[in-house]
Amino acid sequence: MTDKNNIALSVKNLKTFFYTNNRCNKAVNGVSFDVEKGKTLCIVGESGCGKSVTAATIMQLLPTLSRIEEGEIIFRKDDKTVNIEKLEKNGKEMRNIRGSDIAMIFQDPMTALNPVYTVGFQISENLKYHTSLNRKEIREKSISLLNDMGIPLPEKRVDEYPHSYSGGMRQRAMIAMAMACNPKILIADEPTTALDVTIQAQIFELMEKLKEENDTAIILITHDMGVVAELADNVAVMYMGNIVEAGTADDVLRRPTHPYTKALLESVPVLGRGKNQDINPIKGSTPDPYNRPIGCQFAPRCNWQTESCDVMPEIIQINKTHEIRCHKYEQFFEKYNEKRDS
Amino acid sequence: MTTYIAQRLFIFFPMLFVISFLVYSGLELSPGDAVSHMISPELASTITAEQLDAMREAYGLNQSFITRYWIWLTSMVQGDMGYSMAGGVAISTIMAKTVPATLELSLVALFFSTILGCSLGVISALKRGSGTDNSLTVAGMAGVSIPEFFFGLVAILLFAIELKWLPVGGRLMPHYETVWDRIPNIVLPSLVLALMMTAGAMRYARSSMLDVLAREFITTARSKGMPEWRVNILHGFRVALTPVVVLIGFRLPLLIGGSTIIEQVYQWPGIGSMFIRSVRGSDYPLVMTISLMYVFVVLTASLVIDVLTALIDPRVRLGKN
Repeated sequence: MTDKNNIALSVKNLKTFFYTNNRCNKAVNGVSFDVEKGKTLCIVGESGCGKSVTAATIMQLLPTLSRIEEGEIIFRKDDKTVNIEKLEKNGKEMRNIRGSDIAMIFQDPMTALNPVYTVGFQISENLKYHTSLNRKEIREKSISLLNDMGIPLPEKRVDEYPHSYSGGMRQRAMIAMAMACNPKILIADEPTTALDVTIQAQIFELMEKLKEENDTAIILITHDMGVVAELADNVAVMYMGNIVEAGTADDVLRRPTHPYTKALLESVPVLGRGKNQDINPIKGSTPDPYNRPIGCQFAPRCNWQTESCDVMPEIIQINKTHEIRCHKYEQFFEKYNEKRDS
Repeated sequence: MTTYIAQRLFIFFPMLFVISFLVYSGLELSPGDAVSHMISPELASTITAEQLDAMREAYGLNQSFITRYWIWLTSMVQGDMGYSMAGGVAISTIMAKTVPATLELSLVALFFSTILGCSLGVISALKRGSGTDNSLTVAGMAGVSIPEFFFGLVAILLFAIELKWLPVGGRLMPHYETVWDRIPNIVLPSLVLALMMTAGAMRYARSSMLDVLAREFITTARSKGMPEWRVNILHGFRVALTPVVVLIGFRLPLLIGGSTIIEQVYQWPGIGSMFIRSVRGSDYPLVMTISLMYVFVVLTASLVIDVLTALIDPRVRLGKN
């Protein structure tokens, strides 16, 4: 698919299950993807589809009642490869990767920063554990990081507490913290959901800039199709713990083939089309994770459901980059080709 | 920060004034007056109303309530606490003898209960659902619900009478010279006194800690690759501490109240035993002084809590002006 040397992280058949009240929630049920250096992979899907759990699994930041059941998470650093799933959850090796090789930014900057420490202190923690800089250098680096993130008066702001930062500034501070050790991979779990639209654009611009300057691979988790269209190099669409369609942004957004992806794209209102536009929300709601449909998870809500959908479809490679998990894909693909030919 | 403390001090004195008035009025409402308690029951039948009035006049008790309150307040402010009606000893002398004993007991108990309560609470939260947590929970419930005098008596029976490790009670003995001589005496009363508060602080620290550990910034700290101790203590406990400090502060008056009982059990010559004696004997000047001292302690405690929470949690410092 792509040059092996360019892959920063590959996830193979990953399964993460949650155990509560003697029941098992297969939150991530066999997910595979690769993340290339300097590229953005967007993982999209509705709430509860397992996007955030996938991210948490890569960092081994799962809650106590969940565990990696199966699969591999292979992190490539320089020439070495590390199997993250084999490392001890909070062990030394895992901690050395966290924050320095793989960093993460969270959804809500209001709660993701510790309210009782200054922003500078929270950035410096990262540098203290992953670099050999001395106190003075750490402080200078913290200030320059804040400066890079476009925070005014960083010398003064570095000693302020998160509560005197605005939402957008806090998210910048979060990014400064995550980027402190020039990570190979940045996982952003819905980084702009809690921010207003004007700030969103600034944050994404910042992330794009960092990606280009440091060759960082970005895994962006979102449910905002507009964001996907703007930032993604590759897209993976998740539904009920599976990736149902994956490919380049062009593949998925321009030639959506899986019924779920299509439905997802049709349910997004488009600015400028006026209020009478046709928005088709996906009928029904996501099934109970403890009482899943047999076979294709989307079948009960799918307009093209047939008997063959009672069996879980395998991944089918449509072309070099585009893959899909659907029995009826040929039908859709032909349809699409007809459309293009006419 | 300075303005913050100044603000707190600004409301401190008006509060003290209002409460002192309430205490004085409360005592005024209680049946009988000082004179009626000064006369022994045998003499009561022989004494005439005129004689009683003369006595009241001599003590200034015939003056109006407000005047008496004013006289008491002004002399109090000047440091003149008056004389005890039982024995005529200067109240300042009594206070000088008893206050250090009570402070010693309460502060040692406070120290033990804070350290023990917080650390057990944190351990309990970190090992949630484990055997350690469950047994600490049961112990905590027992500690909160069983009255302290009971613990006091059981402790005396066990450690003083059966095992003979520690003295039964008392604070100072004639042959005591160094601090080390006195330590065995304070161990039992302070631990028993600390027990109840330890249990409370532990339960509170546990729930506060659990609450904080579920917060997102804990995941952030972990995502930075911090070791677990740093995540739990520096990021977790530091934030969980604020409500615990408030709780301990508000329990401080309870600690002093509790010491009244423990002082009785252990023959500790503190202010608690003195308070009970003075109330029984309607020794009004002494009751007033001790009550006012309690008020002062409670207010000071809340002032200290305010300052401490502001130190721990930077968000408190902002406040509304």
